[in-house]
Amino acid sequence: MRWTTTYGPVLIAATLFALPLFWVLVTSLKKQSEYGSALFPAEPQWLNYELAVALADFAHFAANSLFLSGAYAFLAVLVSALVGYGFARHEGPGRNKLFVLVLATWMVPNLVLFVPQFVMFARLGLTNTYWPWILWGLGGSPFAIFLFRQFFASFPRELDDAAEVDGAGPLRIFLQIYLPNAGPALAASAIFMFLWVWGDWLYPALLLHQDNTTLAVRMANAYADPHGNPLQTVTMAGVVLYILPLIAFFAFAQRFIVRGIVTTGIKG
Amino acid sequence: MAGATQVLPRTMPRPAAWRRRGVRRAVTFYLLISPWLLGFVVLSAVPLVGAFLMSFTNYDGLNLDYVRFVGTDNYLRALGDSDAQYALGRTLLLMAVVVPVGLVLQLVLALMVNQPIRFSNVFRTIFYLPYVVPVVAGVWIWKIFVDPTGGLLNALLGVVLPDVNVRWLVEYPTAVLAVLTIWGAAGGGMVVFLAGLQGIPAEYREAAMIDGASRAQVTRYITLPLLTPVIFFNLVTGIIVALQILVQPMLLSPGILGLSPGTVPPRDNYLYVVHAYIEIFTKQLFGYGSALLWVLFAVVLGLTVLLFKTSRRWVFYGVEP
Repeated sequence: MRWTTTYGPVLIAATLFALPLFWVLVTSLKKQSEYGSALFPAEPQWLNYELAVALADFAHFAANSLFLSGAYAFLAVLVSALVGYGFARHEGPGRNKLFVLVLATWMVPNLVLFVPQFVMFARLGLTNTYWPWILWGLGGSPFAIFLFRQFFASFPRELDDAAEVDGAGPLRIFLQIYLPNAGPALAASAIFMFLWVWGDWLYPALLLHQDNTTLAVRMANAYADPHGNPLQTVTMAGVVLYILPLIAFFAFAQRFIVRGIVTTGIKG
Repeated sequence: MAGATQVLPRTMPRPAAWRRRGVRRAVTFYLLISPWLLGFVVLSAVPLVGAFLMSFTNYDGLNLDYVRFVGTDNYLRALGDSDAQYALGRTLLLMAVVVPVGLVLQLVLALMVNQPIRFSNVFRTIFYLPYVVPVVAGVWIWKIFVDPTGGLLNALLGVVLPDVNVRWLVEYPTAVLAVLTIWGAAGGGMVVFLAGLQGIPAEYREAAMIDGASRAQVTRYITLPLLTPVIFFNLVTGIIVALQILVQPMLLSPGILGLSPGTVPPRDNYLYVVHAYIEIFTKQLFGYGSALLWVLFAVVLGLTVLLFKTSRRWVFYGVEP
């Protein structure tokens, strides 16, 4: 009785959540002729995965995505940590008002900010380049700044005092004391920053062209045979390859993220 | 320690040195936050002012020669735009379904995986995964799941109702969009609820149990009131996100092949931001589209302020754990 009331609902919910993902896996292993005629593949077609890589220049777009996501995450995390440290540990006139501004930019609808940015990037000739993401990274992320500010505020001040007595400046204190001890916050924010670019479709679709764009944009188009008929099975293999690294990563890093969110009480 | 450094200047008054020290501290602070400050000015403040000015012009995104101020024309036009009104209605309808259902689901999921059950980590991961699945993949996952040809949904329904052939994306596009949105957001909200649940001291629940309260009573009278700040947070963020849905309906259009930036979703999924997006990037009406977006911003801001006002009646800020 107790078993059914406790595990029954959880199992049902988990099944409903996983079913669509499971179906993508099943579809990706069918023959195209089995799509729509057989529920399950007679024999798993691993060839679909080879085709998904070969037909779409997959490696090229994956490399673009990897570079863009990695560069943005690296810059945004480093800058946000520095700025968060500034807000948490240093004082200056207008500090609290400026911090409210950080949070305010987080609340402005994305497109309200993006449309004028798009005009600006177009005027400066930065469309079709990766510069917008580099600039976004160099400006830090409001979400990550907030996270680091909360995280660093809990550090004992005695560490700073001791380092100052030893003659260390603020930058050295940040690099040698704060940054090395920010493991969970660094991991959580890096994952979210990376994921944001890896998963984003809108900005690369509008800012880049079809050669230097990301995997997300490429994956939005179905695979087709030479006659233009859609190949759902190969497309699903491509989708699995597109999200597999993330799923593997999250299964591994899940405890990190939950801990990072518990310490700060926010989500991305 | 900190007190001693503050007392020192008072016993030995040296105003010049004190002021210099204050200036140095301020310079350090501003140097540390300078990357963000610079980014804020260049990437947020200037564009926002530009977007605001743009909403009073006829700017087409290309030619600066023909730009002229049109006063409040764009805003007046937005008020009379029947497409915008229709789109706003669809958006509010979607929000009215997705936000409450999503909130309850997130809370129930968090309560379920917060129990001392076996494999709770596995369940947490399963519920959390859709939240990290990129939007393009999420749309594909549901497109194939509800596909009349090779989808599982019609096959499952076919067990009960033979010869079922629902073309979900054509007949019920908003239902698919709602399910996709709820499925995708559940994990993020669940994790925040989990953090809130773990912040409630176990003694409260134990004390109530000793006094003879049932599990349901503990949830209703102890856990839920203490969770109201988290419920409030998830409610506000949920509304802000729901009002801005753009990419999902565009990618969810029924065609299987082309998903380009110019795709127009089916009429049922023609949401407000989709309308603004099409006015700007397809019709090149940057001025008018900006006005539409500022109207949305006003709606979002108004709703948020309203929620904060009502929060005093039902959000419980009493206990610092």
